[in-house]
Amino acid sequence: MTVDDTTHGAAGPVRHEDRIAIEDVSSWVLRIGVVASVVILLVGLVLSFVHGGLTRHIMETKTFDLNFAALRQGIMTLQGFAWLELGIFVLVLTPILRVFTAMVLFAFEEHDVLYTSVTFLVLVMTLGSLLFIH
Amino acid sequence: MTGEMSAFTFLVEVFGASIAGGVLGSIAGIGGGVIIVPVLTVFLGMDIRYAIGASIVSVIATSSGAGAVYVRDRITNIRIAMFLEVFTALGAIIGAALLAPYIPVNWLSILFGITLLTSLIPIFRKFGEELPEGVVDDAMARRLRLDGSYFDKRLNREVTYHVTGIPLASGYMFVAGIVSGLLGIGAGVVKVLAHEIAMKVPSKVSTATSNFMIGVTAAAASGVYLNRGLVLPFVVAPVATGVLVGAFAGTKLMERMSNNHIRLVFAVALALIGGQMLVRGLGVL
Repeated sequence: MTVDDTTHGAAGPVRHEDRIAIEDVSSWVLRIGVVASVVILLVGLVLSFVHGGLTRHIMETKTFDLNFAALRQGIMTLQGFAWLELGIFVLVLTPILRVFTAMVLFAFEEHDVLYTSVTFLVLVMTLGSLLFIH
Repeated sequence: MTGEMSAFTFLVEVFGASIAGGVLGSIAGIGGGVIIVPVLTVFLGMDIRYAIGASIVSVIATSSGAGAVYVRDRITNIRIAMFLEVFTALGAIIGAALLAPYIPVNWLSILFGITLLTSLIPIFRKFGEELPEGVVDDAMARRLRLDGSYFDKRLNREVTYHVTGIPLASGYMFVAGIVSGLLGIGAGVVKVLAHEIAMKVPSKVSTATSNFMIGVTAAAASGVYLNRGLVLPFVVAPVATGVLVGAFAGTKLMERMSNNHIRLVFAVALALIGGQMLVRGLGVL
């Protein structure tokens, strides 16, 4: 662990002005992610209504089924449902991206080995349970 | 056209209920499933598995929306969040991967419900306390540099606080992870309990930090629901939009409330969730 006197100290007040704050980056990642996902979801709803034929029965039975080729095709052809799936995808990725950016900042901005390891563990386990446990 | 009208009415109803979920969730530090799930099942007649599926994905929106505001305003303690997320994530993996085949979900719901209702007692004991006093950092909190401070808009001053009970809090978080892995809920309520009872941080820090963490737990847990085809995108859209609107409004309220009032809101949510879990476990819902 390297200690830079201007931005780090073992204890007590530290100067924050000249480094990128993890708090600010986390805040922006969360805000951009969640607003983007909700905007995409709303686009999906509008497209679905524009295409017509949407009933409450469809809304309560059509489930998320991610297939990247079909998703890409659906987004390009402005299929409402594909946009909804994309919105959910962005939403689920948002907190994971928040952990990832914190890990990068703990490593390269703060040179903090302890918290880089902690965030790395969280990232691996979260991705693990998202992807591999069915 | 009638089909489309009923689809539109459904969207508006779900959206409205979700705003309430987002407000409560962002103030109490829980996701808001406590309102979303019963509204979808009891009032709109949806299957509970789909209701939980929509809730768990949408909770990410409450967490991200409220989390973004609290972390920007430096109320969230990100070191506490990052450290405790390790135990939640570990618990979630163990719960979903190893324990799920052996643990009867009904019994777990009942046990969890009783545990939550019992934990109202230590919360009631803290009523009247605006800020924790006489807390000394324990050895792990010192090693992990977990103590902190935040600017309290209500008290109009910087509040410095210390953190204790890290081993106990880690245990709470591990249990929160197991419960969320098995019951498919974010278990934000257990995170707040860990902050309030074990670590003794001010309620605002507790709520803000829990809000920050639940998104990660919910993202991990949503994998199971997405894979099993239990997530309905047409339902997630109005729920996620509603809770986000509610969460942004809730953060404005929370930052100006007293710690004592936030704890009161949390106690109400705790009682509701405990009751729901009992009812669910007994198979009534």
